[in-house]
Amino acid sequence: MRAMVIDDSRAMRMILKRIVTKLNFEAVEAGDGQEALDLLNEMSEVPELALIDWNMPNMNGLEFVTHARADPRLREMTLVMVTTESEQSQIVRALAAGAHEYVIKPFTEGAMIEKLALLGLVPTGANS
Amino acid sequence: MSIEVEVNENDLAEMVEQVWESYLDPEGVSPLIPTYDENQPSEVHSSVSITGSWTGFVVYASSTAAARRAAAAFLAMEPEEVSDEDLSDVLGELANIVGGNVKAMLPPGALLSLPQVVLAPEATARFPHTERVSGVYGLWEGEPVSISMWHGRGDNKEGAE
Repeated sequence: MRAMVIDDSRAMRMILKRIVTKLNFEAVEAGDGQEALDLLNEMSEVPELALIDWNMPNMNGLEFVTHARADPRLREMTLVMVTTESEQSQIVRALAAGAHEYVIKPFTEGAMIEKLALLGLVPTGANS
Repeated sequence: MSIEVEVNENDLAEMVEQVWESYLDPEGVSPLIPTYDENQPSEVHSSVSITGSWTGFVVYASSTAAARRAAAAFLAMEPEEVSDEDLSDVLGELANIVGGNVKAMLPPGALLSLPQVVLAPEATARFPHTERVSGVYGLWEGEPVSISMWHGRGDNKEGAE
C-alpha cells in the first residue's frame, strides 16, 4: 500500500512518513498541492491514502482536495486533512470538499493510527 | 470598536504542552519549565500573522541550541546533524501549529499566514505597532523558549483614525 504525504514542512512530512511506514505503507512526499497533483499524474498506481496539510504555498490542501475529488482517477484515494485549521467551520469546509477525515495538529502517533484504523486502512489495535 | 480577545497564558500553555507531548517530549521527561521572564534572551524566532477578525502575530522564539534540539526531535537526528534549513523548517512549523490553534480561539473570520522564520534575535525584527497580549516563557533543558501573542494596535476600529 502507498501513502502520499503532502506538507510544506519537511519535518512534518518526516513525522507522518515515520508513522505510515511503521504501518507498512510505502510513503511518497510532496511539498504542496500542485507538486502532489504532478506526482499523481506520473504514477501508474494511485496511492490508497493522502495525508494533506491545509496551509501550503502554490496550492493549499483544500484546493488539492477539490482537484482530487474532481478527478475520477483519484476516486479511490482516501483523503485525510492533517492541519492546524481546527475551527468547526474549516472542518466542515474540508469534509464538504471531499476529505474523508480530519486530524488536528499537534497529534500523537497513537491518535493518527486510531484515525487510520477508523478509516479501515490499518487493523484496529495497530497502535497497541 | 475593538474586539476583545481572550487567549491567555493558560490557553497558550495548554497548546505548548500538547506540542511538547506530541513532538518534542513524547516520553514526558523534558517539559518546558516556566520562568515567567518576558525578557529572557532568544537567538532565533518564527512567526505567523493572523488577519481578519483579529490582527496580530504569534511568535515562537528560542536559543539556537533549543531550536536545534527541537529540529532533532522532529527529524529524528542528532542535534549536530541539523542544518540551518532544518532549523527554519521546524521553527516555521512550530509557529504554524501554535498559531493555527490560537486562530481557532479567535472570532470567526481570521486568516493564518504562512510562517516567517528569522535565524536572528527577535530584537532585530520587531513587529511594529503591536503589543504583547500573552506569552509563555520557559526553559527547555536549560535553554530559553517562548511562545507569545502580539496584537496589532488600532485594528478593528470603525471609522477613520
